[in-house]
Amino acid sequence: MRRSPVHRPVVLVAAVGLVLAACSAQSPSPSGSAEASASVAPATGGTVRIGWSGSPDSLNPGNGLLSEAYTLYELVFDTPIGVNNDGAYEAELATDWSVSDDGLTWTMNLVEGATFHDGSPLTADDVKFTLELYRDTADFPYLPSYGDVFESIDAPSPTQIVIHLSSAVGNFEARMAFMYILPKHIWETIDDPVAFQNEEMIGSGPFALVTHVQNESVTLEAFDTYWKGRPNIDGVIFQTISNPDARVAALTNGQVDLITEFPATAITTLQDAENVEVYIADTFPGSLRDVFFNQVLPENCPPDDGVCTGHPALLDVAVRRALATAMDKQQIIDVTQLGLAAPGLTLTPPGLGDYYASEVADYAFSIDAANQLLDDAGYLDTDDDGIRECPASMTDCGPTGDLTFRFNYADDIDEAPREADLLKGTWNQIGVEIQIQGLDADTLTSVCCPAFDYDIMLWGWGSDPDPGWLLGVAICDEVGSGFSETGYCNPAYDDLYVAQGIETDHDARVDLVHQMQQILIDDVVYMIPYYPQTVEAYRTDTYSGWLTGPLTLGLEDPASLAIIRPLQ
Amino acid sequence: MSGRGSYLVAKVGWALLTLALVITFNFVLFRILPGDPARSVAHDPRVSPATVAALTARFGLDKPLFLNLEGGDPFDSQFVAYVGRLAAGDLGVSYNFRDRPVAEMLGIGLVNTLWLVVPAQVLAILIGVAAGLVAAWRRGTPLDAGALTFGLVLWAVPTFFMGIILLFLGSAWFDLPTAGKGTIGAEYASIWEELGDLVRHLFLPTLTFTLVLLGEYLLIMRSSVIEVFSEDYILTAKAKGLSTFRIIRDHALRNAMLPMVTLIAINLGFIVSGAIQIESVFSWPGLGELTVNAVRKRDYPVLQGAFLMLAIAVVLANLAAELLYGWLDPRVREA
Repeated sequence: MRRSPVHRPVVLVAAVGLVLAACSAQSPSPSGSAEASASVAPATGGTVRIGWSGSPDSLNPGNGLLSEAYTLYELVFDTPIGVNNDGAYEAELATDWSVSDDGLTWTMNLVEGATFHDGSPLTADDVKFTLELYRDTADFPYLPSYGDVFESIDAPSPTQIVIHLSSAVGNFEARMAFMYILPKHIWETIDDPVAFQNEEMIGSGPFALVTHVQNESVTLEAFDTYWKGRPNIDGVIFQTISNPDARVAALTNGQVDLITEFPATAITTLQDAENVEVYIADTFPGSLRDVFFNQVLPENCPPDDGVCTGHPALLDVAVRRALATAMDKQQIIDVTQLGLAAPGLTLTPPGLGDYYASEVADYAFSIDAANQLLDDAGYLDTDDDGIRECPASMTDCGPTGDLTFRFNYADDIDEAPREADLLKGTWNQIGVEIQIQGLDADTLTSVCCPAFDYDIMLWGWGSDPDPGWLLGVAICDEVGSGFSETGYCNPAYDDLYVAQGIETDHDARVDLVHQMQQILIDDVVYMIPYYPQTVEAYRTDTYSGWLTGPLTLGLEDPASLAIIRPLQ
Repeated sequence: MSGRGSYLVAKVGWALLTLALVITFNFVLFRILPGDPARSVAHDPRVSPATVAALTARFGLDKPLFLNLEGGDPFDSQFVAYVGRLAAGDLGVSYNFRDRPVAEMLGIGLVNTLWLVVPAQVLAILIGVAAGLVAAWRRGTPLDAGALTFGLVLWAVPTFFMGIILLFLGSAWFDLPTAGKGTIGAEYASIWEELGDLVRHLFLPTLTFTLVLLGEYLLIMRSSVIEVFSEDYILTAKAKGLSTFRIIRDHALRNAMLPMVTLIAINLGFIVSGAIQIESVFSWPGLGELTVNAVRKRDYPVLQGAFLMLAIAVVLANLAAELLYGWLDPRVREA
């Protein structure tokens, strides 16, 4: 299992925000054995070695797609607003922020004394420049959409920023969590910010870049004059170890202090290893595995790209409910994730804190109940071949009329073939057949959406810290854009989506987001087998004080790396 | 002389033609597959249509493939631009590592790969030839049977499997490093210490690669020597009373090496692609890892560059083999 399965090239899953300020208030659970006796002079120094599977795709925060890149940005840059291990937003460069009554003007006050790694001061001018750069550079893949509502940005004083919005938004803090503040004096001289490699990578974060060798290593050193205080360790080295078995071996024989992902089958080995601790937690913001149906109605079929060959029975919510009832989530988790996942519910994972609709009841697994649903809806096995047929009233069910569905999965998901097999097993028991075929992600995209040339798909998402983005894949407007995978269209859901987008009161927005999740469950737009958990392993004989739980940003987040101490 | 000259021209001509076909094929191959890099970025609710359009234009993917038939400059196409840049030695910029020139990435990868494959090839050739020779010389003895079994097993074991096993054994028993080409962040007192660290990191991958290549060399060399031993001139040499050592050195070895030359030349062409599995197992930052990652991310420019490089290596190695053969064996040249 991986920490953040970025199966669609999504996802700023990586850690978000710094937690240094929170650390004094909130005592991290000590994970090292020597922590208790360290009452004399706490040790400092040392370089933490981390083995990870990939390598950052770009040092330019505008260009990054991979989670490794975002891990690095979190360490090297500051954002105005950060996120902590509880999944809550907290002050970072912005000491406080407020919104006008009409929701259109946000004012942020900035810390004093922050400097960039090259010694120049960080002021409101840098913040204004950065926000405008991200908003206006259309070739940056993600960041322009975070800034799309920033109509104008003012810097009335070196420590104040005023942002005027074109329309009110309910996720201002989430939009600020990825605004890695850049030094204006360097970036304003760059003609083409997309082509800029940013090899110096000057930021204002707790660690400064020393060297970066593509696909080999990234070396960082503690920033001595960091405005929140220098980290306890001297530096961090990320080493690319692409082979998972080699990563496990590197940890057990002491070549690295922490590995960020490894196969679930290695967990027992690591738990038995000396001086190694395995750490498992719900991830913030988290990711999910999903199984979804082609639900595009003929009248909604995209005129240009739509093929729309979905099985008509899948448009019947009774069939979708029966399939959901016949999905044994615990079995899938136990077999394919070795138990290391939380049962899934909707598109909003538990890592998003109160946005996760824990009160919504899922379909309890029951073959009998699923059979009953299909019987009641008129899907009977009239020709006794073990597979149910569509009712006579339903046309276009194919020559045999069977409930036989095409089932595609993304073949870069290691567990997908096994998961498809397990689903086939329980679905066969309710008289449903699936024809399983794995496809590479690009091919899957081309049959998925907006072509809608499939019946059922198994895939995955990584979530943004804000629930709005993922909930948006189920709105009517996205049916033709390629973002809607299901073709689902429900005006009631769309109304809620619009309402949560402009609701600035947190509790009211949480309520709207929960209502949307209830609709997703009622209509079985998506089935979520599980939410993968973060599984990492670290050595207990080198550093202590890793910040663990309740949720986790990952032990490689600055939240942990700024507070751990060497054991000598 | 004229025979040799036209032979040379014909072979070089064919090699160039092959390369031209490879370049075209490379270009077409990656574009007939469904999906494109701009879209693979796009499958995310946070990526706006404007961004997709901007990326498509930046990559040049909005232009027609071969010829622009919709008015304007007919040669304003992806293929013409590709060949034009290629002629200038520009392999383009990676789509995935958006800001990195492909030539630079390939250059770094090639150097790392050569560190791995050159020692392994040399070791495998030396040990394989020697062991094959000894086995043939001692044909029918337990030594021969042992060498034959050893060679067959090595040839049969899948590369990645051998790599994984050696990785486990090497790291558990001998504390050898399992990944990368140096201890990251280490500061070395001297160049020798740095070299020692490199050798430690090279040990397991080189050992794996040597063993993988060794079996084939051993077996071919053995059968080739046995064949030569059955020739009349060996019998004549024996009748003249020459020592076994002289028979092997002066009569058997040179003839037995003929098929080996072909094998070595062809293997040299594939050494870069052959290291892919070993680089994956040992996280060696060479061309193989680069290519595998580029395939995953549909990074056209990197793939085109890497495939071109592999193709050039194979074509050059084959050309070298043919020219060498023509020189070694006049019958080939005359034919």
